[in-house]
Amino acid sequence: MNKPTDFEIDLERLDKEIAELKDIALVVPIDSEKATRFVYRLYQRASLKGDLNEFEAVETALDTAIRKIGPAPDFYFLKASIDFKLHRLAATRRDLEMVPELLESFQARVLLADLDFQEGRYDDARRGYEALIDEERTWDNLARLAHLESKMGETAAADKLYQEAEDELTAKEMRSYAWVQLQRGLLALKHGRYQDAWSNYKRAGRAYTGYWLTDEHVAELLGAEGKYAEAIALYRQVVARVPKPELQQALGELYTLLGQPVEAEAWYERALAAYMKSAARGDVHYYHHLVDFYAEVREDGAEAVKWARKDLELRPNFSTQSALAQALYLDGQLTEARDMMNQALSSGARDAQMFYHAAMIQQSLGETDEANRYTQMASEINSHYRNFHVHH
Amino acid sequence: MADHNDPNAVNSIFSDIDVSAADLYDLFGFPSDDKSGGEKVVIALTFASVPEAGVFDTDMLYRILINPSPRVTHPTRGDHSLDGLLKYFEALKDKYLGAFIASEIRVTVDQSQRATVKFSNFPGGSFQTVVNLNEVLDINTPDGHAIKTFIGGRDDAFFNDLTGFFRSINYAPQFYHVPHTMQNARELKIPKTLLELEGNDLFNFDPKDPRWGYHDGKKRDLPPGPLVWNGDKFRKDENGNYRFVYTGEDCQAGKNINAIIMEIPLAFLTKTPDEDRVVNCWGESWVLKAANKIETIPDHPFWLEHPWALLDSLKFDDELKKYKLVDTDGQPFADAALSEREDNRQLGANNFWLAPHFIKRLAHLGWAFGPSISALGLGTSFDHDNSPVSVHRTYASAIEAFPRAKKTLFQELNMPDDSWNPKGLNIALRRPFEIFVPNVCAIDMDTTGTWPFGRRLEDQVATRFLSMFLDMEAEFNGKKYHIELLNDQSLWDAAPIEPKTPPNPLKNDKEFLDHFPYLAEPW
Repeated sequence: MNKPTDFEIDLERLDKEIAELKDIALVVPIDSEKATRFVYRLYQRASLKGDLNEFEAVETALDTAIRKIGPAPDFYFLKASIDFKLHRLAATRRDLEMVPELLESFQARVLLADLDFQEGRYDDARRGYEALIDEERTWDNLARLAHLESKMGETAAADKLYQEAEDELTAKEMRSYAWVQLQRGLLALKHGRYQDAWSNYKRAGRAYTGYWLTDEHVAELLGAEGKYAEAIALYRQVVARVPKPELQQALGELYTLLGQPVEAEAWYERALAAYMKSAARGDVHYYHHLVDFYAEVREDGAEAVKWARKDLELRPNFSTQSALAQALYLDGQLTEARDMMNQALSSGARDAQMFYHAAMIQQSLGETDEANRYTQMASEINSHYRNFHVHH
Repeated sequence: MADHNDPNAVNSIFSDIDVSAADLYDLFGFPSDDKSGGEKVVIALTFASVPEAGVFDTDMLYRILINPSPRVTHPTRGDHSLDGLLKYFEALKDKYLGAFIASEIRVTVDQSQRATVKFSNFPGGSFQTVVNLNEVLDINTPDGHAIKTFIGGRDDAFFNDLTGFFRSINYAPQFYHVPHTMQNARELKIPKTLLELEGNDLFNFDPKDPRWGYHDGKKRDLPPGPLVWNGDKFRKDENGNYRFVYTGEDCQAGKNINAIIMEIPLAFLTKTPDEDRVVNCWGESWVLKAANKIETIPDHPFWLEHPWALLDSLKFDDELKKYKLVDTDGQPFADAALSEREDNRQLGANNFWLAPHFIKRLAHLGWAFGPSISALGLGTSFDHDNSPVSVHRTYASAIEAFPRAKKTLFQELNMPDDSWNPKGLNIALRRPFEIFVPNVCAIDMDTTGTWPFGRRLEDQVATRFLSMFLDMEAEFNGKKYHIELLNDQSLWDAAPIEPKTPPNPLKNDKEFLDHFPYLAEPW
């Protein structure tokens, strides 16, 4: 019998605890500690598995707990965390404001800084993260600041912060360590440093075995290296475990690159069905994937614009602005595309894909010098920027 | 374009905080009664028995640092000024940040549950050995000494009414489910006190729920509304008696710990044992960093093509770089009672950085315990302006706090009799500021090693700690107050208080052994 992986061990532990709690945690008379532990364990399991559908069960249990116990700050913090994860930013803020003492807590201030970042207030986000780190130097806040720095093109600073985050992590937090390694690897990948990315991903794999998230990153890297068949094989394993539509889309794109349109279309259809089902439920999490799908896969500018506007309304940041600009470009609205892209660029963010799209827009407007300039900027960040990549 | 990183996806956000093998509990140190072959000092570092008593966590590294030095009377002895005190702290800083090098015993345990014990910077050199857990054995040193050693599980030698202590400082997590997002609702802003406060329903003893706050009691949900107290007097019962926050119950009864216990020849610790009469020591717990953990993980088949280069050999100092300091232990209550912030625990011997905090915190505690002591008709070392009740007061500056706490800081702590000084030497009584800064256990080899001249297993240190707030110039039954006074049953029999008990149990739940390893067998 094979030794269980770290992932399996963690999952089994969570399953066991959830099984022990599920019949008693939310039953009157309620023990609030048990109820809190129960809903948090559900959240942890959903996060571990990467299963967005499981978050619905968490939300149901959480709502029950709130109804029966009242507006406990830990419940509303969890509610805010889930809303944030699912891109419901306004709801995130409302949750935090539901319990006065929660808003002042360290944890809530972390989420508020995250909200600043997602809503395009980058300086506020930076100040927020830095203040939190001064107050308590935690690995996750170092990683948050690293992410912000990476988006602003401060690659060396970002990697240094990720290393500092690593240094805060102990042998008792190997999954978190693996996650930081994946972020470092992704940073390297986005700058075309594939060997560095491999090093980080391998380290992640050793630190925490059996993790689908590591395999997902490895599969993307294989794709970026042009090893499409290997990438497909690994993605299929991941999708079998974690049927996320964005991974199905990635599979479709790889089959396209491999010249197998029938296989590709089957995966595209699955991905799109899942995106649309989510949107039909009123969920907003897949809006940015829908933009990407219609822009990159279907090249349907009008549909891409529709979803991009919805996403921008929720999250006005350089990423959604850039996505809308690309969608407008595809839809032939070139002037508006340029204006929107200029908004994204004015954020100070530096991203090879964004510069590439800026170049395309400028080129279509006849601004060849500008187009060349942006192409050059994209190449400086990542000379392989046209290679296979996915939207995380 | 990735637009969303989310550490919370992997961060457990509020996994319940487990007891950790890094939680140091106590450091005991005293001269051994066994003088055969020369003087020896007993040092015992105890910590949480995780994963279980007698089984060690292989990710941990424990250090015991030792620095023997001559007994000196500080030149500032007659100087009771803040300036003098700060000069004392400054001198300590120079010592600990300068050429000071402590000798060290380092213990790690491997997967087979064998302990590697490394000795470094001792006069006889540095060496290492591997020993079994849970066995009394001798470690022979290169210079011909034998160090009695026990590394394994024992009964917890600490005996203490922890619930009473937490009630005295209004520590909510002992009594309530405190939400993880309400870290500021842990030590509530209610006056700390030895006597219950009238109307302090958040913490006062509830006769209908007498086990509330104890390990076998049920925690309550934190009530809504402001978590404050608005009263102005101590609570009294129908007979006019105060209600003690303590009951004297041993909350550690029946509990085990893991421990590193050694009986070390003084001549191994110093080349000049006749001069170096004070053995300063402290303990530290370190946990392996994640980055270094993966070097110890066997290759996963997936990664066999690209094995990570394992380090062939490591310099001794490099080993520590692989670990993260988590906890330190020198003096009992130095962290829990005297640090203003919980995360200051790791400062250990270097806690001179906290000197201003120490003064402020002592004044904060003085406003808690001073009025309680006065209400019982006893003299207090703390200047509380004859406050009739405990007060919750914090200080922004040491300058402001110092005049209040001056006597508490500088007074000599009287001993109950002369038994602590069997040789009758001219050894100065210790004073609180010397005891707690630096945070080391300073074992005087010419004494019995009873606290504060070390720490013997049988010392009731929790109660002795409270005695700092007694006025050591005052008298009870014709005798000057001393550090054992609050352990004297006759005092409580005469006091207007219920229950009539010393605050903490007077002895351990299990008899200590009269021979090495001294701590009792585990339960």
